[in-house]
Amino acid sequence: MRRPGCDDWRHTQHALERQGGRTVAIPREALDGLAEFERQGGLSRRNVLAGGVGLVLGVAGAGRLTTRGVLEAAVAEAADNPNGTILVSIYLDGGNDGLNTLVPLAEPRYRELRGRIGIAPETTLALPDAPQFGWHPSLGGLKELYDAGKVAVLPSIDYANPDQSHFTSNGYWRTGIVGDSNERTGWLGRTLDAIGSRSNPLQGISVSYGLDPILNSAKVPVAAVYDPSNFDFWIPDVWDSKAFLPSYRRIAQAAAKHGALGDVRRVYGDAIEARDLLQPLAKEKEPPPPPVAYPEDGLGEPLRNLGRMLGAGFGTRIAALSSGGYDTHEGQPDAHAKLLQNLGDSLKAWQADLDARQLSDRVLTLVWSEFGRRPEDNDSQGTDHGAGGLLLLVGNRANGGIRSEFPGLGQLDDDENLRVTTDFRSVYATILEDWIGVEAARILPNGPRGKLPLVRAA
Amino acid sequence: MRRTAEQARIERLLWRGGFGPRPKDRQRLRSHAAALDHLFAPGKGPSLVGPEPTTKDGGRLDPFNEYGHDSVWWLDRSVRARDQLRERMTLNWHDHWACSNSKVNDPRLMFAYYKVLREHSLGNFRDLARAMVRSNAMQIFLDLVGSTDESPNENFAREFFELFTLGAGNGYTERDIRESARALTGFTYDYDSKSFGFDQKRHDGGVKRILGAQGRFDALDVVDRALANKHHAPYLCEKLWGYLSPRPIPPRLLKRTVDAYRSSKFELKPVIRLMLSDPALYAGIDEPDMVKSPVVYVAGMLRQTGAGVRTTDWAWMLDGMGQVPFYPPNVSGWPSNSEWLSTGAVQARFSAANRMIEKTIEDGSISSKQSADEALADAIRFAGRPWTSRRTEKTLHGYARASVAGRNEDYEVKHYWPERQRVLRHILLAGPDAQVC
Repeated sequence: MRRPGCDDWRHTQHALERQGGRTVAIPREALDGLAEFERQGGLSRRNVLAGGVGLVLGVAGAGRLTTRGVLEAAVAEAADNPNGTILVSIYLDGGNDGLNTLVPLAEPRYRELRGRIGIAPETTLALPDAPQFGWHPSLGGLKELYDAGKVAVLPSIDYANPDQSHFTSNGYWRTGIVGDSNERTGWLGRTLDAIGSRSNPLQGISVSYGLDPILNSAKVPVAAVYDPSNFDFWIPDVWDSKAFLPSYRRIAQAAAKHGALGDVRRVYGDAIEARDLLQPLAKEKEPPPPPVAYPEDGLGEPLRNLGRMLGAGFGTRIAALSSGGYDTHEGQPDAHAKLLQNLGDSLKAWQADLDARQLSDRVLTLVWSEFGRRPEDNDSQGTDHGAGGLLLLVGNRANGGIRSEFPGLGQLDDDENLRVTTDFRSVYATILEDWIGVEAARILPNGPRGKLPLVRAA
Repeated sequence: MRRTAEQARIERLLWRGGFGPRPKDRQRLRSHAAALDHLFAPGKGPSLVGPEPTTKDGGRLDPFNEYGHDSVWWLDRSVRARDQLRERMTLNWHDHWACSNSKVNDPRLMFAYYKVLREHSLGNFRDLARAMVRSNAMQIFLDLVGSTDESPNENFAREFFELFTLGAGNGYTERDIRESARALTGFTYDYDSKSFGFDQKRHDGGVKRILGAQGRFDALDVVDRALANKHHAPYLCEKLWGYLSPRPIPPRLLKRTVDAYRSSKFELKPVIRLMLSDPALYAGIDEPDMVKSPVVYVAGMLRQTGAGVRTTDWAWMLDGMGQVPFYPPNVSGWPSNSEWLSTGAVQARFSAANRMIEKTIEDGSISSKQSADEALADAIRFAGRPWTSRRTEKTLHGYARASVAGRNEDYEVKHYWPERQRVLRHILLAGPDAQVC
């Protein structure tokens, strides 16, 4: 059976699909002053609700928390705050061709390098404030958002000495750590470890069947839910899940002597908890139609599903989804046009949906890919792996415009790739501090953390 | 399901050194000593025991051509192998010498790789390591083919020290990697004719310095350099222990196994035997303490219930749980223990048990005279007498009584008595307690 993508892409797929979720066995990174606090059971939604802030501070006092610890406890409480900010990560899987997404009209070499699959300048869609670029003609939906000032665009984003293996680059982007590491947690999973609750698996949602490794956490529960109407447990010829769920729940809550059984029981509890929380959506016969129809394929369905979950107010802070097919080694023009059409239309429907749900001031959507593609196209009407990809940050509070330097095509790097001007970790640092409200150094152990002007004040 | 300490030890042994007990094993293997002897000398007879694997339609597996059949073929070996210890060690070595068909892209090469792992799985580590250097699948996976004197690829050399023989940063330097990469040059592969070879002209025949010795080393010399390093034996023994127990290896056991390994010149059997006999393996015997890997969980369930592989759906079900034979995620192998767990994996493990119980009990097939105790006893028999905690046992008893109480109408008896049996079987096979061994 022929599967899409190059060998390296398939290899990476398999690798990613097989990562665990809540990686309980990893030694818990000491949370500085929070250690004592955690020994007392940590902060859960239940005890916050039961005791309120007074309880948090009371425990904090008893546990001799550092100031930062108190702040973090407050942030953790905000994790259950119905008005908390939300980050949605959309991964364009395979390495999106940034140069044919945002076409550098002012670059004379573009026509020469893209002699076979270049986008004709007259077909591109104009950026009012950046005439040196034009959007791919299929990106009408994205153009509307950009023109409304809701899209920050960073061309040529990557890391120094970029690696062109899907597996390596992807791992760096997902863990937020560049270079050799055995890190199994994702940067967004660690973010929830820092700010999340011990009891709400829907605080981090991977809109997929297996957990997106970007959400791998060490301590707090997260969930993989593709379709909230369909996240349930059933046993053949058992008429009602009420027959078995109470027993499963009881067993999941039992104490265990050893970590292994305790971990298993806890994750069973998380899964059943997620199922219980999702019941109102599962029972919804016909969800109200979104204001702008989502595309039926690609990102349309998962975003529509996520919109329903965010609308239900589960205290979600982070969600992750992905869209495949961007590894366009061959036959790129048609394939890429379809993908971008889907991306632009999906984002347009997504923003309209968030508007209608009065969520659009609280949601930022990060669109990223593991690398860009080689400026010179290949003999198969496609492009090979390159460096310097394109990143988008979309939302009412995104600081719209071109927000990083484009290096031009006049001088390429030693591998004939776009030169990298901006490290992706500075985008992560900005999001963590200016959007989520957590110190970047806590989540990103190495690399540049300088911030960029990407988020507008509320 | 109470058991004696001896029974618990036998059970743990059969899960760690194999894929769990079959119902008959319980009658046959009365003492821990007998069970241990049986693992190391399974006796004469067909190498595979039990019904042949089939697709849903009853067809034969076609592992070289059909998607997923290769992985199901491996699963079936785990279920049916008479020599359970050898088969289990083969899976462990697949994790240790991880190699994935997602890059190799040729099931025939992967089968050859499996065969080599199995052949040496209880043999001599030096032979195994030499065979891995020459494994065509491995040569593709770690870019050994096409590595030439002019541009040596360091991929294999790096993983060879870091993962296969010494451990990360353990007694070797970047220079050792570079020099070893030179010694490993010359292997060739012609993609069109699919032929592998060795080209002396592309081999770097010069003098190299590897791990403190100097010479005109070639590929197999790299194996011997690594095995002669003092860090090798402790690294390997500790890693092997990690496949058998989630607890740290006690220093005295490490010393004993390292001594046995070195004095026998890299023989694996004595090491494994020492580990499986050691009291440390049986610590905390009243509660299982290791999370079953997906293959162990599924193979174990098929063995416990006496069912064979009758669908290739296992390929995607294993995928949902996170472990597909022939497709480890990367060169460092699969996760272990609690790293297997996520809400998605729980759903996949829960659903897997549905395959075992569907169509095993028809509505109307159970009399209303069946007592709660009888119902539970029947479910326990069906599930192969798995371990359950006291709390779980209590929950099952409570459920067995409450689930049919007051349901006396004919249509209710017809459905709810069998439904009770379905639920009991499901919890025994897929509940949290069934995920540990």
